[in-house]
Amino acid sequence: MKSTPSSKNFYQWFDPRGRSISSWGFIINRITALGLSLYFILHLIMLGQLTQGQQAYDGFIALVKNPIFAVGELLVIAAGVLHGINGVRIGLTSFGIGVRYQVMMLIFGAVISAGIIIFFGFRMFGGV
Amino acid sequence: MQSSISPKNHENALLWFIKLLAGGLIFGLLVVHFIVNHLIAPGGLLTFNDVVQYFQNPFVLIMEGCFLTTVLVHALLGLRSIALDLNPSPKIIWYLNRGLVLFGSLAFVYGIWLLIKVSSMG
Repeated sequence: MKSTPSSKNFYQWFDPRGRSISSWGFIINRITALGLSLYFILHLIMLGQLTQGQQAYDGFIALVKNPIFAVGELLVIAAGVLHGINGVRIGLTSFGIGVRYQVMMLIFGAVISAGIIIFFGFRMFGGV
Repeated sequence: MQSSISPKNHENALLWFIKLLAGGLIFGLLVVHFIVNHLIAPGGLLTFNDVVQYFQNPFVLIMEGCFLTTVLVHALLGLRSIALDLNPSPKIIWYLNRGLVLFGSLAFVYGIWLLIKVSSMG
């Protein structure tokens, strides 16, 4: 396969065949980046409710306490944690630190991420 | 068969380094943001009065302003990297660069205005 980036490569993101574990790390970072960017825009718009006074803000907070929004918030937390921890690995390996152990770092990061996401999941849905 | 997807793109080293640096700063600032807004706050969300009171603190204003700036820089450079993966034409890259700078500038002005407006509501 050619290594030059092209629009065809976009569709290969969704093809799970023959993919290395490092490639999964890269894809997770890209997908979570897109999700977090969308959330960031929505978050800025939502904060605009603050300028409309207490009633508008409290009405919005009541809306986001809906379980559907809570699931969405958990997805945002999951994306942030995965992107952040995987990003640290990418940052370190970019400077040549721990390149030999990058697969181990990816697995370790995934385990830590899973622990944090489960903690927030229990906390948000009343388990803690 | 290994995937051909690779992090290589046409991003220059300086922009890549700025993105990495901003990512590192976000990691630290996000921990503080998460603890204050979602762990300390009852039910995981601050009330209106709590938010206004929180933004009265000048240190918080500076911290949230830095957070906004670093998130914008990191997010927009990251979106540019993803777009470059698709190997767009120079003309599209030209529009993309200007579009991202325009969006980033507007979002920055809006975010700073929001910070100042909320802090003055108390």
